[in-house]
Amino acid sequence: MIKNQKNYSRLFGFSKEEMLTNLPRHSQCNPNLLLKVQNTSESILKNNGSQFARKINRMLHEIFRELERNRQFTRTNLNNHGVLYGKITLSHQSEDQLLKYFHNRFPNCFICLFNTIKNETITMNEKAKIQKFQVSLNKFVQNISRNRPITPYFEDISMNNEEIFQEFYSSQFIASRENRKYFKKMIPKYAMEMPGMKGGVEYKFRNNQLDKYINKKN
Amino acid sequence: MIIYCKKLKIYLIVVSTLEKIRILGENGKYDICASTSSSRSESAPNLFGNSVNWIGSTISAGVCHSYAPDGRCISLFKVLFTNKCIYDCKYCFTNVCKKRVSFTPEEYARTFMKLYSMNVLEGLFISSGICGDADETTKQMLETVKLLRFKYNFRGYIHFKCLPGTSYYLLKEAVQLADRISVNLEAPTKEILAEIAEQKNYNTDIIKRQRWLKEIRNKHNTKARKIMDEQKDNQFPKQSKSEKNSQKIKIEEDEWTDEWGITRRSTGYKKIRWDGAPILNSGQTTQMVLGAGSETDFDILKRLDWAYREIDLRRGYFSAFTPIKGTPLERKQATPLEREHRLYQTDWLLRLYHFPIKEIKEILTVDENLPKGDPKLHLARNYFGENGKIDPNKATYKDLLRVPGIGLTSARRIIQLRRDNLIVKSRAQLHSIGVILKRADPFLRINGHVQKTLDVFKPI
Ligand code: SF4
Repeated sequence: MIKNQKNYSRLFGFSKEEMLTNLPRHSQCNPNLLLKVQNTSESILKNNGSQFARKINRMLHEIFRELERNRQFTRTNLNNHGVLYGKITLSHQSEDQLLKYFHNRFPNCFICLFNTIKNETITMNEKAKIQKFQVSLNKFVQNISRNRPITPYFEDISMNNEEIFQEFYSSQFIASRENRKYFKKMIPKYAMEMPGMKGGVEYKFRNNQLDKYINKKN
Repeated sequence: MIIYCKKLKIYLIVVSTLEKIRILGENGKYDICASTSSSRSESAPNLFGNSVNWIGSTISAGVCHSYAPDGRCISLFKVLFTNKCIYDCKYCFTNVCKKRVSFTPEEYARTFMKLYSMNVLEGLFISSGICGDADETTKQMLETVKLLRFKYNFRGYIHFKCLPGTSYYLLKEAVQLADRISVNLEAPTKEILAEIAEQKNYNTDIIKRQRWLKEIRNKHNTKARKIMDEQKDNQFPKQSKSEKNSQKIKIEEDEWTDEWGITRRSTGYKKIRWDGAPILNSGQTTQMVLGAGSETDFDILKRLDWAYREIDLRRGYFSAFTPIKGTPLERKQATPLEREHRLYQTDWLLRLYHFPIKEIKEILTVDENLPKGDPKLHLARNYFGENGKIDPNKATYKDLLRVPGIGLTSARRIIQLRRDNLIVKSRAQLHSIGVILKRADPFLRINGHVQKTLDVFKPI
């Protein structure tokens, strides 16, 4: 379990208990590594002073960074049957956390996420039951929607919202504050390549601006 | 789009939702105070009805979903409700905006929910121009929030903007529906506000509302806590982190408790800022425009210091003035963003590091503005003297915090290591703890050795 990740991991570093519970999520974790962590003192592990501590903390950060990026940049759709679906890129074993994040927001929706790295669809129903399927997302969403009634409540707030987001996103730009370096830091290249972001609003808008900028200079 | 209304026998101009978003989003973007922050926890009571269909969460708030080309995160739906305004503040777009449009509450709420379902937003920041009068517009805004809370069962983060001159009863309603409320001060004093927004009355329209907010919040929370405690008597207690913190709280010598039972530091600031309150959890904030009037940095810092003491302000925001073509201030120079940055740095020193304002006053220039460069560095030079150095293994937590390059986290880590009998022996160790050595070196003596970074002692 990732416990109070926001409160503790960021501020005080990971506790040994957190390390031991979360390291197995890493795709490169093995039992020897866990044993070594178990036998090392917490203050050494926490303070990045040794190479081993650095390795462990790097691995933990890789898990959480990937999870955080997926929370941020997964673009979802909600259909009128109350199915929330989208594509994700998770290489470590933190699917349950991501599903939980969406379940916390939409507890009465059926959540379907297609992991493009592992080629599988993971789902969580209203009762927080997790399942994995080797089916493509569209097919799965169609099948699951067939068994669910159309709810006007969801109909009201579902639609293709890409256009709305594009308009909203562009309206928030303050030219005098443009800071390309900062933007790149906040949305690094690998984030731009996530399924929800590929060719997404941010990417298009930024390129438009770049064109304008280049034309102006000419 | 123009349509003919047979009933009224007139032509009506219908503005599409998309166009409204474009116009009102552009008008609303200058309001900087829009970060998601909530400590509302699972143990907080369900304030917004018992529908099983609720959507949204504040527990995971803090994720930014997209970043504007200026690097600022766009985590809130920051679009004005209307850009019609009876005031004409000199720095504001209202002077030039040709197209006046308004959302309807239903349209606004639905648009927001659509974006929320896309996972591109974390919450709502609802602000508006003043159409008719403040109460009339506030009622419409409240209508929108109620639709969100009770029709769409939205339980996520809502930041509500209190318009100057809003009535007490409407504020009371807003406090119960929003996570955070802000009243924009715009200027640090009455006189300076008169220079840039002469129609607004500083004391009655703004300060009075801020005091009301504090009063309403404290009253409601005292009541809400009582009810929660009664309910808890029959249940196994499930505490949030902030609740645990407030129980752990030890009153030190120079701390005191006010009439609401809130523990305060000697400076008068709240000891626990994130108090886990069930109502208006994220407190109140404010924003000031920098450089539109003739204010100095000290005026601003004094006002902030007052606000942290008197109205329990959670934090202040600054917006560097940008001249808008066609406004009375179009010829005024834009305020450099560096001023905004220095003020934010100093605000952190006041609010989180608890540097007394008296000390900050000592580093100001003759015209009462902040000097160039990092204010913490200037303060450290004053405090430690030209050759003063501290040993990180012996220094107190407060002294560690005074060293540039050592922040709250790294200071805490050093103290924690010391408690475990682990001593910092080299600069590399300090670096691994998170200390920025380039800045900290000139003030540290590690294991008897000192190291000077010339840059730090160069005049800025
Ligand atoms: S009150 Fe002043 S700042 Fe606010 S919208 Fe109206 S004119 Fe602009």
